[in-house]
Amino acid sequence: MSQTGIPGADERRARGPVLRKGLGPRPIGWLDPRGRALGHVAFVGNRITGLGLVFYLYLHLGVLSMLLRGESAWNDFLGLATTTIFLLLDILLLFGLLYHGLNGLRVALVGMGYVPNLQRALWWAGTVIGTLVLLAGALHILEDV
Amino acid sequence: MSASGSRTPPAHVLIVGGGGTGGALAHDLTLRGLKVTLVERAEFTSGTTGRHHGLLHSGARYAVNDRESAVECIEENTILRRICPGTFEENDGLFVAVTDEDMEYHDDFVKGCAECGIPTQELTRDEALALEPNLNPALKAAVRVPDATMDAMRMPLRFFATAQKNGADLRNYMEVLELVVNQRVVGGALVRDHVTGKVGEIRADLVVNATGPWSEKVAAMAGVDVPISPSPGVMLALRGRLCNMVVNRLHRSGDGDIVVPQRALSIVGTSSWTVEDPEELDVPEDHVRRMYEEGVKLIPAVAQAEFRAAWSAARPLIGSRGAADTGRELSRTFKTYDHAETDGVEGFLTITGGKATTLRGMAELCADVICRKLGVEALCRTRDTILLPHTELFAA
Amino acid sequence: MQTSPAVEDAVGTVAAASESRRLRVFRFKRGDERPHYETFDVPTIARTTVLDALRWIQNHRDRTLALRHSCLHASCGTCGIRVNGREALACVTRVRDLGREITVEPVANLPVLTDLVVDMREFFIRFPDEHPSVRESEFLPESEPPEGIEAFERYEDCIECGLCLSACPVVVTAERYVGPAALAWTERVVEEPRGGDVANLLAWADDPDGVWRCHAIFECTAACPSNVNPAARIMSLRGTLLGRRLRAHRREDHAT
Repeated sequence: MSQTGIPGADERRARGPVLRKGLGPRPIGWLDPRGRALGHVAFVGNRITGLGLVFYLYLHLGVLSMLLRGESAWNDFLGLATTTIFLLLDILLLFGLLYHGLNGLRVALVGMGYVPNLQRALWWAGTVIGTLVLLAGALHILEDV
Repeated sequence: MSASGSRTPPAHVLIVGGGGTGGALAHDLTLRGLKVTLVERAEFTSGTTGRHHGLLHSGARYAVNDRESAVECIEENTILRRICPGTFEENDGLFVAVTDEDMEYHDDFVKGCAECGIPTQELTRDEALALEPNLNPALKAAVRVPDATMDAMRMPLRFFATAQKNGADLRNYMEVLELVVNQRVVGGALVRDHVTGKVGEIRADLVVNATGPWSEKVAAMAGVDVPISPSPGVMLALRGRLCNMVVNRLHRSGDGDIVVPQRALSIVGTSSWTVEDPEELDVPEDHVRRMYEEGVKLIPAVAQAEFRAAWSAARPLIGSRGAADTGRELSRTFKTYDHAETDGVEGFLTITGGKATTLRGMAELCADVICRKLGVEALCRTRDTILLPHTELFAA
Repeated sequence: MQTSPAVEDAVGTVAAASESRRLRVFRFKRGDERPHYETFDVPTIARTTVLDALRWIQNHRDRTLALRHSCLHASCGTCGIRVNGREALACVTRVRDLGREITVEPVANLPVLTDLVVDMREFFIRFPDEHPSVRESEFLPESEPPEGIEAFERYEDCIECGLCLSACPVVVTAERYVGPAALAWTERVVEEPRGGDVANLLAWADDPDGVWRCHAIFECTAACPSNVNPAARIMSLRGTLLGRRLRAHRREDHAT
């Protein structure tokens, strides 16, 4: 048995990375869903929305930091935040949250071994639910525009 | 070191052809202490060996017409189960009579099996249908025999894996372009390595032609002729495991009289014709239809089963064509041609014939001839040497 | 005999028109700086498979084209390739189902030995030591095996073709990931031990480079030509491991 208690782990680590010789898809190949099945499309969506949400998080913290600069800076920002373009971006954010959340739920259920063979059905169910919520949300956001 | 005790380097044998015959021979010779190089132009077993339906013969098919083959089969069947544990679907097989004509053959069949040492068990129609619910309900009789199913590639690969572990140099993607012949002595081969694209030479004390239906082509490189004609047959793979046991037709050999399960597929075979060139085998439409027609008589569900593949494989058929057949008969089923004796060309042997089931036995007798020829005193040890798993061939 | 759609599909269209397809084939020999593609025009009929076309090229155009094949009927798993970017077994992929130009490449994520042949040592090295090939047959459950035979046996579905490893996007960047085939095989032994050391195998799988590296993308299951469903098996292993962890924690809680 190895130090970590996992059989074979030390040998694997000592052996180093399994040889790949650089022939095959490029590391960024995960982004290309052409010719791939639904699961791959879902995965790509999850990664992109994930990156997007992380980016949004930083953006949000940056925005909140404007509070430190006093009332007028914040009011300027609020003026920007109620423009149509900004509201459309809010809808995009909502899409990202819904996609990542609902797909994340799917991945959690499937990944714990509960319903692996329903992964496609779950994706479509999530898409339907997400689309309905997104539409409702979009209508609400754009109400006063 | 030879048995005489002098410190001469071991004799070097170059085997041309990486099918079951070549692999089993490499294994046997390596155990006897010889240095072995095997060259195969593509993947091991990519010729005829890998393509058959996967039957581990009980020999029952030959019990009436070819007693020697039958006895060889049942002996090797037993040995292979011992030296390749965990490599067979040991579900036995059935010989099923469907017509009155089949029934006429029944008694001779059972008697023949008994005389060849092939255990049989008589089954009633209901017993047979309980074992295999997909059988033709109109069956008239069924006899159980010790057939089994093998993976046509992975079983022979165990011989390769063991030989390699014991020091044999097994080179696939290495194609023989010419034999090195000097004044009627074969000294090796000129090979192209398809991995590098480069050409090189391999020298050996003895070259063995184990190329199956390509035997004639390779023998011609040494300027000798062997009367071996490629005889292809068609097989059909259908989706669905329609039986767990091997299902045979109880009659004298004919087309489409066997159904062998292979994982989640069912293989229906086979047919027979002769060709000149084993390279590009046709898959004649009427043969494919015949597989369906005959297969349906054994298992009606064949008719609706989804198609997976249809292909041909060439048996190496030994026969004399005009010229006197002077090869030494080791048995009715396979032959070794020592071209020093038959054609005056030294250092060159052809081994051919046989079936997938008898690969080890064939290799034993050929290795005996080789050792006698090279003055090596070593007994065969393959009957009791348990083979490594096929995955060991790919051990880094 | 009445011909069924199955039979007609098998023999191909009766009046099969001969046509020509363009194959763009990946070429590489050891020592080459980089691989290149060569184009061949191949005559085809209705039942021609990609492997048929490649062997035609070998016989009529370029003897040095290296191919891997053996059984010609999806049982040996040696002819795995990528056709137009998708994983497939060459011997059962008909050219008539593909476009005018067909790009043929070796499977991904395994080192290329020569042309379309990959080094399978890097496939098998990922497997745990326990690797039984034969299992109990689940087909025809209504049948009774004959006396002396406890249960009908059959080969495991996996034909070691490597298509799952090729399709998995995670393997591209996680170089030590053992991959779907090895994990699926492990799960099969957990499901049906046959004397295997289940505890050892579960510990083997419970590794950052084992089950936990999988992102539940399911490309492996989509690519598998032999109904192994590796993704579901990986999820099943994770469920088993999670269950054990949770139970272990609960036992600890009760013990304290």
